[in-house]
Amino acid sequence: MWYEIFKFELKYRIKRPDTYLFFVFLFLFSIVGIDFILQGVELGPIKKNSPLVIAKAMGAITGIFMIIASMIMGVSVLRDFEYHIESLMYVNPIRKRDYLLGRFLGSFAVLLFVFSGLLFGMMLGEFMPWKDPNDLHPFNIRSYVQPFVFVTLPIMFFGACLFFITGALSKKIVVVYTQGIVFFVIFIVVKSITNEQLQAILDPFSLTTISLLTESWTVEARNFNGIPFSGLLLYNKLFWIVLGLLILVFGYQKFNFTIVKRKQVNKKKSQVLNIETDIDYTREIPEFQLKYGFKAKWTQLTDLSLFYFKSICKQPTFWAIVICGILIMLVNSVNLGTVHGVDSYPETYFIVKELQETSVYFFLIILVFYSGELIWKERSVKLNLIYDATPISDFIHLAGKYIGLLLIYIVLIISLIISGIIFQTMNGYYNYELQVYFYGFFLEILPFLALYTFIAFFAQVLTNHKFIGILAVMVFLTINIGLRSFGFDHDLYLFGGSPLGTYSDMNGFGHFFKPFIFIKAYWLFFGLSILIISSVFSVRGTESNFLKRLKGIRTRLSNSLLKFGIITMTTFILLGCYIYYNTNVLNKYMSKAETINYRVNYEKTLKKFEYFPQPKIVDVNLKVDLYPSTRDYIIDGVYVLNNTTDVTISEIHIQKLMDAHTALDGVTFDKEVIANNEYNEYGYTIYELKEEMQPGGSITISFKQTFTTNGFEVGGSNTHIVNNGTFFNNKHLPTLGYNKKYELRNTDDRSDHGLPPRLKKAKREDPKELLNPRSGSDSDGITFEIIIGTDENQTAIAPGSLMKNWTENNRNYFHYKMDKTMINFYSIVSAEYEVQKDTWRVTPKTETKPVDLEIYYHKGHDFNLDRMMESMKASFDYYSTNFSPYQYHQMRITEFPRYLEFAQAFPGTVPFSEAIGFVLDIDDETDVDMAFYITAHELAHQWFGMQVEAANVQGQHLILETLSQYAAIMVLKKHYSEDKVQQFLKLQVEKYSNGKRIESGKEPSLAFVENQEYVYYAKGAINMYELQEYIGEDKVNLAIKQFISDWNTTDGKLKMRTNRYATTKDLLGYFKNVTPEELQYLIHDLFEKVIPMSTPNT
Amino acid sequence: MSLIINNLSKTYSNGVKALQNISLDIPNGMFGLLGPNGAGKSTLMRTLATLQDADKGSVMLGDLDVLKQKNEVRQVLGYLPQQFGLYPKISAETLLNHFAVLKGITNKGERRELVQALLHKTNLYNVRKQNLVGFSGGMKQRFGIAQALLNNPKLLIVDEPTAGLDPVERNRFYNVLSELGENTVVILSTHIVEDVKELCTNMAIINKGQVVLKGNPMKVIEDLEGKVYQKTIVKSALAEYKKHYQVISEKLFLGKQIIHVLCDVAPGNGFTPISADLEDVYFSQIFDTNRNLKIKA
Repeated sequence: MWYEIFKFELKYRIKRPDTYLFFVFLFLFSIVGIDFILQGVELGPIKKNSPLVIAKAMGAITGIFMIIASMIMGVSVLRDFEYHIESLMYVNPIRKRDYLLGRFLGSFAVLLFVFSGLLFGMMLGEFMPWKDPNDLHPFNIRSYVQPFVFVTLPIMFFGACLFFITGALSKKIVVVYTQGIVFFVIFIVVKSITNEQLQAILDPFSLTTISLLTESWTVEARNFNGIPFSGLLLYNKLFWIVLGLLILVFGYQKFNFTIVKRKQVNKKKSQVLNIETDIDYTREIPEFQLKYGFKAKWTQLTDLSLFYFKSICKQPTFWAIVICGILIMLVNSVNLGTVHGVDSYPETYFIVKELQETSVYFFLIILVFYSGELIWKERSVKLNLIYDATPISDFIHLAGKYIGLLLIYIVLIISLIISGIIFQTMNGYYNYELQVYFYGFFLEILPFLALYTFIAFFAQVLTNHKFIGILAVMVFLTINIGLRSFGFDHDLYLFGGSPLGTYSDMNGFGHFFKPFIFIKAYWLFFGLSILIISSVFSVRGTESNFLKRLKGIRTRLSNSLLKFGIITMTTFILLGCYIYYNTNVLNKYMSKAETINYRVNYEKTLKKFEYFPQPKIVDVNLKVDLYPSTRDYIIDGVYVLNNTTDVTISEIHIQKLMDAHTALDGVTFDKEVIANNEYNEYGYTIYELKEEMQPGGSITISFKQTFTTNGFEVGGSNTHIVNNGTFFNNKHLPTLGYNKKYELRNTDDRSDHGLPPRLKKAKREDPKELLNPRSGSDSDGITFEIIIGTDENQTAIAPGSLMKNWTENNRNYFHYKMDKTMINFYSIVSAEYEVQKDTWRVTPKTETKPVDLEIYYHKGHDFNLDRMMESMKASFDYYSTNFSPYQYHQMRITEFPRYLEFAQAFPGTVPFSEAIGFVLDIDDETDVDMAFYITAHELAHQWFGMQVEAANVQGQHLILETLSQYAAIMVLKKHYSEDKVQQFLKLQVEKYSNGKRIESGKEPSLAFVENQEYVYYAKGAINMYELQEYIGEDKVNLAIKQFISDWNTTDGKLKMRTNRYATTKDLLGYFKNVTPEELQYLIHDLFEKVIPMSTPNT
Repeated sequence: MSLIINNLSKTYSNGVKALQNISLDIPNGMFGLLGPNGAGKSTLMRTLATLQDADKGSVMLGDLDVLKQKNEVRQVLGYLPQQFGLYPKISAETLLNHFAVLKGITNKGERRELVQALLHKTNLYNVRKQNLVGFSGGMKQRFGIAQALLNNPKLLIVDEPTAGLDPVERNRFYNVLSELGENTVVILSTHIVEDVKELCTNMAIINKGQVVLKGNPMKVIEDLEGKVYQKTIVKSALAEYKKHYQVISEKLFLGKQIIHVLCDVAPGNGFTPISADLEDVYFSQIFDTNRNLKIKA
């Protein structure tokens, strides 16, 4: 018997087009599946078709398309009720067992067929012409079949059981496709489980399971080994299979052949009996008027909007989604803006970001499902013919539904805002900054939802099929996201435009605001146009044929609607023209591909000049005029260059900053030159000297550089020159010679364009780079003087002592001068600042004059100023005592907007991002004082990086960064307790493991470290601490002191003699000198060998 | 105002010729459209209600072209479909109010009074605050007619309204309909001959997409007067009688078979003459067309 039911089910499904549609859809998607899932992930040496990668991609795709499983399995029993055939079905003498088994197996067979599309699609994907054979192993069918059987099938089985039973028991179609959401919710909840073992077992798609299992695998293993079906993975799969079986058993018990149409509701008041009273057939109908004008339409629109809004509010599934959303947010609310393990104050900016990130999924779910529901609302209860016969305008009807849904979003948004405010209040933070809430939700989220709702409605009307319409919107959304990462990023064709950009307390939304508004308006008018089209294309009456509806548009488009449509389309086009004018006419727009090509050509054309002998800059004198309100500047600069080489120099190569807004003109020399403009398209000009420059000779260059802002650009544009918080460094000014930083970094892009792999750092003995303290360094030290003019309410800061400041013509002027040489690396900063000042008095031990300590901060960000001050004093105490005297007269910490999240060291100046220290909420008991620590680290750079510089070769960062870490830890230890140091070191272990996990290459030793941050920051800190534990803090400090004395740039004895910069070979020599014989191995182990550190889980 | 249908034709995409050159002149008052299942009644009703397009022909309501000026027609149209459902979680009063807005009664006060009046008229006032999910079949139909009457329509189309209603409900329904003013064209489609006899001043019989008879009910009965004969026979003899006579109806009464036959002259043979009834008219027409079609086939 069950076999008959099974066959019937199959036969029925075979005739349905959606069976094939789902298969084709999944098949096509899977062809590009791996590329899609992996976009933005650099696999390095791991091939795209290694079993591990395939397994993860399969897991992810299965996860995304579980909703298809829901649609296939859920309708199995439900179908009888939907078509009202249940009474005929259930009176037959069939046994429950046969009925359920037959239906289940039949649907499951179909499910397998549909999901085989995943398997075949991915396999076919390997042979697609756009795949790079270098990324692939030879085809191995096992790599695909194995993950399909082990990863996909078990979870498919579970999904099949779950969806089948819920459909059979609930008998409601709406449950079928909302259960996909609950599943998704479970997935998110699982992701946030911190116990990794538990998480691995519970992960429905085995993504974290596989990651955990293969955590310690080598690159070899990752490339070739199949997924191990043992241990955690086995438990994970068993868990879900068993759960599925349990659900089947439960459902089997509960199911029976009754036709339950309505629930037994406890009626609180009894139904009012419909008593036959004297029926008043002859009752007079009162007078009324039928109105169709504009005012009437408006009333209808508001009435309909409220009607649809209320109808969604009444649905229990809606509340189910909302409650799931709240749960997720509670789970996620735990960590808020953490930096190095410390939470920030619950600033509105953080709260908004957190709320946005989690709530957007739920908004999308609501958007996709309820647009379907609303479009089909009348038809699902068979009330559509009555509606269609009323004179309600097509557009008003559809717009009513649209606005109803919008009202739902707005109500949800307001609740989110209220919960955010409650959260802040509960944490004792009262600066609510309502405008930030407003911007975050009503400017960013709501327009995004509004635009996609237009699309969803259009998709539903076009496809006239609820499920396919839902799929269509999901596809559209994914394609849109995908396009952007493939380099198609112009806001005029990328639906919805770009996001608003980072909010900074200092700069608000700055200059991002205006283009955002215009682009959103542009897309909203587009959306409105397609809403109008949707309304006259929608099904009205009995005709649902596509072509017939198309023909019907002409009659349905009333005059007023036509006029309205023309107005919206015209506005759309006008806005488009204005935007285009700004982004492509006033400014230069380069697509991602064009940018890459430009940089490839730069390298191919100019790399030959990389080590071309050039003089060095020895003096810089600048006159800078900043105009922050219009985002412009004018710089008049003078460089004095000396020929420090031992050859004659006949050409001077000047590189202008590669930026369309920056113009360099008026470059003049005090000697005769001929300009060679051959490479001008790269901003590279060669000046041929009439009279060659002899070794020891000098030359003066005067230039004028301007930065001009016109209109607005695609993609947010410059974050250095802003309205409040301007921050740029001398790399923006003209530099000498070829600039390596313009080379492409991405290994795939490089090989695509025929470029050799990029050497990250030169070998330690590279003779050319031994002479460079930085890539392409054009100086060995300069004397520096600058006058900066800025807006009246701003303070401008550059390295040097403030000689004079004055106001003139409503502008502020600042004159800074360094009284000794400094490295050619300086910052120019300007913003509206408050300042806290202090001094550091030297103790009798050191010989320097008192140092001015200044912190320039944004008003209100005064949480950690005292900590920073303390740190400056403590650090100067320690470093001056143990290493060498501090070389400058001032130390200034300047806050800059959170567009960049770091702190950086310049001579006597430390710009410090808004995001990483000023708003940290440091609990002295549970946290490490990161504001203190980062300050100490940056101050250490005045020694490591400015007093002593390191050659631009392997190991450079051991000297610059690791030593700074060491120094800062020592200050931390002195000021706080040993426990805090241990806590800090534990954080470093975590950072190390995280870094190592994503490392695709081999881990280098500290002595030869290149750009591996997890080595020179994290491991370095740990190893240096260990060193001083063994040989003693005093010994280490002595070594460093000697190292600085011998190698500092100003008068280091060895530096002067060898005329090169220090390397780790030199540094380690000093360490070895202070280390006793029996501990010499330590130096070798810690710095020259690679001993992987134990991570907490092994 | 009258509704003039001229040569209306529609063929569905599966080849079924639902309407074939239908022409009717329908003045104000109740018009009955009789026909068996599948005759084309609902297709015609939906086309008149601006919900379906025709392949050929025209329909004019006064000066309005029903096929081309759909929106203007909807302003004066009331439609009660053959099958419809209702939103479960909403009260009768709220939904009726909602439809009133859709029909253009945007003044809140006017609307409220109108809704009350119609609820009284259809005896739904007592249950106006109840959710529609609990309504019986009869109550649903009453709601249906209430919404159709909201805008005091000039053209009211009711498609098989009494199918499935008990006799008391049917009665109530007709009472409401008969109160309608004389300035409305009311088209009532049904396969229950009684309905037409009771209510309609004009009628047409439609079968297989074609109009087979039109006129005043009284007059069409008159035309058949003197031609209808009745006889009680045994069931087994039925086939034999069908061969020799034009049997237009076969009924059972107290277990015995009674047949009506159509004859121009008295057939004798135990047949008794009876006064013609509208049912006889109906059956004779249907039988005729079916027989004609059989001959053609």
